[in-house]
Amino acid sequence: MPVITLDYSRLQKLVGKVSKKQISESLPFLGLDVESEDEKCIRVEYSPNRPDYSTDFGIALGLQGLFGIKTGGIKLKIKKSTQYKINVTPSISKIRPYVTGIIAKNGKINGDILEQLIQMQEDLHMGIGRKRKKSSIGIHDLNKISFPLLYTTTTRNHKFIPLNSEKELSISEIISDTETGKDYGNLLGQSSQVPIIIDSNKKTVSFPPIINAAITTVTTKTKNLFVEVTGINKDDAEDMLSVVATILQSAGFTLENIQISGAKNSSPKLQEKKMSVDSSLINQTLGLNLNTSKIIASLKKSRLDAVSIGKNIVCTIPAYRFDIFGPMDLVEEVALGYGIQNFEPTISPSQTIGQTNTLSLQLKSLDQTMIGLGFLEALNSSLSSKRVLYDMTNRDSKKIISVLDSKSQEHTILRDCIFPGLIENLSRNIHESYPQKIFETGSIFNLDNPISEKTNLAVISAHKDANFTEIKSVLQTALKIGFGIQIETKTAINPSFKNGHCANIIFNKNIVGIIGEIDSKIIDNYKIRVPVVGFEISLSDSILKSI
Amino acid sequence: MSQVFHDIEKKIINSLKKNPIQTPETLEKSTQLLPDQIRRGIEWLKLKNLAIVDESKSSTLSLGKNGVDSFEKGLPERRLLNLLTNGPRKLSDLQKELGFVFGPAMGLSRKNNWIETSTDEIILKTIPSILPGEKTLQQIGSGNLSKDQIDKIDLSELLKRPDFILENIMTSKKISLTDSAKSMDVSNISGAIDVEANVPELFVARTHPLKDTIDEIREIFVTLGFSEIFGNMTQSSFWNFDALFTPQDHPARELQDTFFLDGVSAKKIGTAEQIRKVSDSHKKNWRYQWDINEARKMVLRTHTTCVTIKHLAEKKPDEARIFSLGRVFRNEKVSYKHLVEFNQIEGIVVGKDANLRNLMGIQREFYKRIGITKIKFWPTFFPYTEPSLQTMVYNEKLGKWIELFGMGIFRPEVTKPLGITKPVLAWGGGIERIAMLKYGLTDVREFYNNDLGWLRSNTKCQ
Repeated sequence: MPVITLDYSRLQKLVGKVSKKQISESLPFLGLDVESEDEKCIRVEYSPNRPDYSTDFGIALGLQGLFGIKTGGIKLKIKKSTQYKINVTPSISKIRPYVTGIIAKNGKINGDILEQLIQMQEDLHMGIGRKRKKSSIGIHDLNKISFPLLYTTTTRNHKFIPLNSEKELSISEIISDTETGKDYGNLLGQSSQVPIIIDSNKKTVSFPPIINAAITTVTTKTKNLFVEVTGINKDDAEDMLSVVATILQSAGFTLENIQISGAKNSSPKLQEKKMSVDSSLINQTLGLNLNTSKIIASLKKSRLDAVSIGKNIVCTIPAYRFDIFGPMDLVEEVALGYGIQNFEPTISPSQTIGQTNTLSLQLKSLDQTMIGLGFLEALNSSLSSKRVLYDMTNRDSKKIISVLDSKSQEHTILRDCIFPGLIENLSRNIHESYPQKIFETGSIFNLDNPISEKTNLAVISAHKDANFTEIKSVLQTALKIGFGIQIETKTAINPSFKNGHCANIIFNKNIVGIIGEIDSKIIDNYKIRVPVVGFEISLSDSILKSI
Repeated sequence: MSQVFHDIEKKIINSLKKNPIQTPETLEKSTQLLPDQIRRGIEWLKLKNLAIVDESKSSTLSLGKNGVDSFEKGLPERRLLNLLTNGPRKLSDLQKELGFVFGPAMGLSRKNNWIETSTDEIILKTIPSILPGEKTLQQIGSGNLSKDQIDKIDLSELLKRPDFILENIMTSKKISLTDSAKSMDVSNISGAIDVEANVPELFVARTHPLKDTIDEIREIFVTLGFSEIFGNMTQSSFWNFDALFTPQDHPARELQDTFFLDGVSAKKIGTAEQIRKVSDSHKKNWRYQWDINEARKMVLRTHTTCVTIKHLAEKKPDEARIFSLGRVFRNEKVSYKHLVEFNQIEGIVVGKDANLRNLMGIQREFYKRIGITKIKFWPTFFPYTEPSLQTMVYNEKLGKWIELFGMGIFRPEVTKPLGITKPVLAWGGGIERIAMLKYGLTDVREFYNNDLGWLRSNTKCQ
């Protein structure tokens, strides 16, 4: 989740008269997790559903609501203008079909604000922009651009000076040589045509979604901004624009509209929407008994506008709050405005009778039996490695189930049996005193339309006198005392076990497991200096009673 | 009180009765015991207040490198004076013959007025029969000596000189019996054993500490009226994500966060109606082309919520309290904080009373039962619940608030497509985190190291 650093003194200026302590104590109640804090700054993590919290301007709006300094919805004031136009050519439809944008004038941009805007842009790209795939933003110095603009396609030979470069580069060079080109160039696929925004003097303004032109770079001297958002879905692009517009207005800019036409594009509306919620749904869901005026006051604290019509609360939702899908989201807004700290937890008597699952009960009995036999319980991950599961124990690795792109080499394959892990455990304990007797019950996995999960028991005993007779006694007693069943052992050959000292475990004429003395090569592989005996038995199919 | 003695103790006491003050070495000879047995025996008797161990320090002296040189060839000043007995010598010649001791020899001889220097010649004035330090040098050179056998003033002459005299400090033990031991009869009562002696350690077979915590949590939920359900660890993306309103392009569904099974996908993921309604909800709310092949991809479940939602979709209860305990997976780098596989508890309440305050109340009750009383709730975000909260609990040992369970009410976008009509409270969280608090661990990996030393020594009731 994205993290933003908030400067206390800036935030205090934006919010109004509140202390640092009040701010740091209130941030969690906006849903922001405090990561760290010092005298000057506080770092908070925000949820991707609230992209407006990607700047301190957005967070200040939220805090003002909680503190009651300013409540109610944030209205976008967009001056009507016919001065700014973007025309879209049909050739773009198959590549990145939509463009939208807004003009923001007469703002002051200092270093801090520039930093906030860059941070916001990055977070929007990563979050709702889905790494620029869905939508991406370009923010430009308006005074360097001559309208009308053209959103069209061009070839990969098209040249301009991109941001942070001093010389002209072709689109191909930008994609192969610049950092953003390398990161995002793949979004354009192999297409010979790429999107481009060109101004009326044929100067390149932007090469979405990769990079802006150097000429429109925003600096601390910039007063007026042109913001463009391009994307593959019109509504998503407008959603992103609504966040930027709201933040720029909060930062002191005056907004003016842009007229967009051509190839199914149209001017952005950034309209508020109305949504109504029954006050009884609010009270039932929250376990409260609030009257409509208290509900409306709570919504206003969450920076929404609302009126009551009978029992219904009709809410006005600004465009940037596209995280609000339906009435239940409004219920949460009431809860936040009311203050989570003001909820008194209650407990209603249970109408149901609790029950432990029979599988848990049976496994618990088995654990107790094994402990009675003197075995210590071990726990290993179900996700193991080829080394532990197959290589070290000499097992066949043809039917492995592996996971993609694991960050940990020790966790790449789902185990199909448990005992190799237990032998590996022994190898980490050769300095501990013997006998070492351990067991594990747990799930094992096999490919079976698509995957079957079964419960196995594996038992290992290691000490200087360990032998087949000992481990067969353990097996026989565990199953007799644990489940009241008799098993047999029939000679078998298994690459993990010593020849002539290995048997299949037979129950009801079916092979349910393997038992024997572990092959000395395996023990040597792990540098264990005592004999090891063990067994593994499948419990799911016939031994555990049906769940 | 009659006391029982070990054979070692008896032998030492008897020997000390004959010869009242001894060293460990003499005891070794007189008792025929091994040095280690003597050491242990003395230690036991000391603890029982039967023996006195008097430790004294003494120092002996020996010659250092320069000391040995002088012992063999004479002190530097003696060598110089000897060279002058046959008349004055040239300074440069003397320098050549004496080498590096020339400087100190000259300095001392001039200071003591034994020689005179003219332009480039050295003349002997007087030659004492014994020079300061010479007697001591002879004494030490012929055998190590203890410091108090030496003339201190004469010794100080030599101690000033670098690498001349080495001082070795030695500890010696003198063992004697206390008065009560002297009169003690050490012949044992027949057949008696030493009931106070240390005994060998035993290792108990036991359940894994993490399993104990899981059992404890299971018990709490059962007593709160919850029934346990199980489900698979391998799940289709449909139940792990789609049914929980997580869009198919959500970052949580990328390889870097979730374990996808290589080349494994599910043929049947749900009923036709479930699939249609879930996909409609995605298309309408998230505005994208929902792809059934994405939903078929098998993953290692990232939470147990897929198990509970599947159960609800199947049973559609009007009233229920259900919980699920099991392993969940995240594609993370393993560290002291993170595991790729850990246990999660997940609980749900279905019914008309399912509201946010009750959800908070169940949490408070659960925490109380595991001994946590200082808790608070913060809002948070999950794709499938609204409203969503997290609990923060205060850890006295660490002196800070830590995040434990996440919770919320299932979104209508989750419940409606699956035909669940009643509100559903849901919460869950990692069990290792609770177990770490319980066992005072700072590294979560310890639970899966299967270190026998730790497993054998852990206290059961904590």
